[in-house]
Amino acid sequence: MLDSLPYELPELVTRAPLDIHRSTVLPEWVDWNGHMNVAFYVLAFDQASGAFMRNMGLGRPYVDGKLGMTFVLETHVTYDREMRQGAPMRFVTQLLERDAKRVHLYHEMFHAAEGYLAATNEVIVMNIDYATRRSARWPAPVAERLETLWQAHKNLKRPAKAGRVMGLAKT
Amino acid sequence: MIELDLAAPLDRHRATVLPEWIDWNGHMNVGFYVVAFDKATDTLCEQFGCSWDYTREKIGMTFVLEAHVTYDREVKQGDPLRITSQILDHDARRLHFIHAMYHATEGYLASTNELMLMNIDYATRRAAPWPDFAMERIEKLAAAHKALPRPKQAGRLIGIRKK
Repeated sequence: MLDSLPYELPELVTRAPLDIHRSTVLPEWVDWNGHMNVAFYVLAFDQASGAFMRNMGLGRPYVDGKLGMTFVLETHVTYDREMRQGAPMRFVTQLLERDAKRVHLYHEMFHAAEGYLAATNEVIVMNIDYATRRSARWPAPVAERLETLWQAHKNLKRPAKAGRVMGLAKT
Repeated sequence: MIELDLAAPLDRHRATVLPEWIDWNGHMNVGFYVVAFDKATDTLCEQFGCSWDYTREKIGMTFVLEAHVTYDREVKQGDPLRITSQILDHDARRLHFIHAMYHATEGYLASTNELMLMNIDYATRRAAPWPDFAMERIEKLAAAHKALPRPKQAGRLIGIRKK
């Protein structure tokens, strides 16, 4: 485990839930159905996970400094409404669980102007040692930040769309 | 429509990891696994006539309602991919299936993608029953896939297991 990080960490945001990421649906994200393609929802959510990680102190300098990386192990998306080219997106993120190497995050994507829920994303992200490309414990300052954030998020209501198992409900 | 392929699982889709799919970690980015899988969904939908022609002719579309991806191993730029598809369930307007992505030459499993797909009426952009021509083929594909073992990656609940 790294005891410290050799760069300045950004000021920690501990709002519950976090509301720190904004984005826009790019032209190249739109498919033949005239809306944002399923894959680019995942890309947009991955950028929201990136914003979460930057808040934890694991932004680009973490990778460029050859210290570590974060890998997604698993992701679950619900597609709730269409988004068109140019639509502004607002993301809300809740920390559902954490351990020594992983976080379990839940993102919601909203149309930033119209306000509707467009999609949700549950994701497991793991810390990776740069040299070995294998899982590793969070660097100490990151573990500390995660714990602070966890204290702020642990009493949030568990989202109804978290923990879904896919299937056709028999009716 | 193309000739129906009743091999179980469907094993028709091939792709290559493109340079623009690589992120700063030096491997295919999580979003582009889904780009690759979505093209495999097109290959599956082609089997029952609901791929590009279906939308180009303004008959209908297919929308994904839900997706679950497991990232099992890294793939790098230029890697050849083989994607197989297995139908798990279906009803009058939905299809539940799972793709498995393999490194085509090394053979390892790189990722899986479970999906719920819905048929959409072109004009109303709302859910609609599968057209008869599609349903007939979906039934045949589902029957061919029925005997396959259910992949362990299907029906997963996401979470951090407590040790």
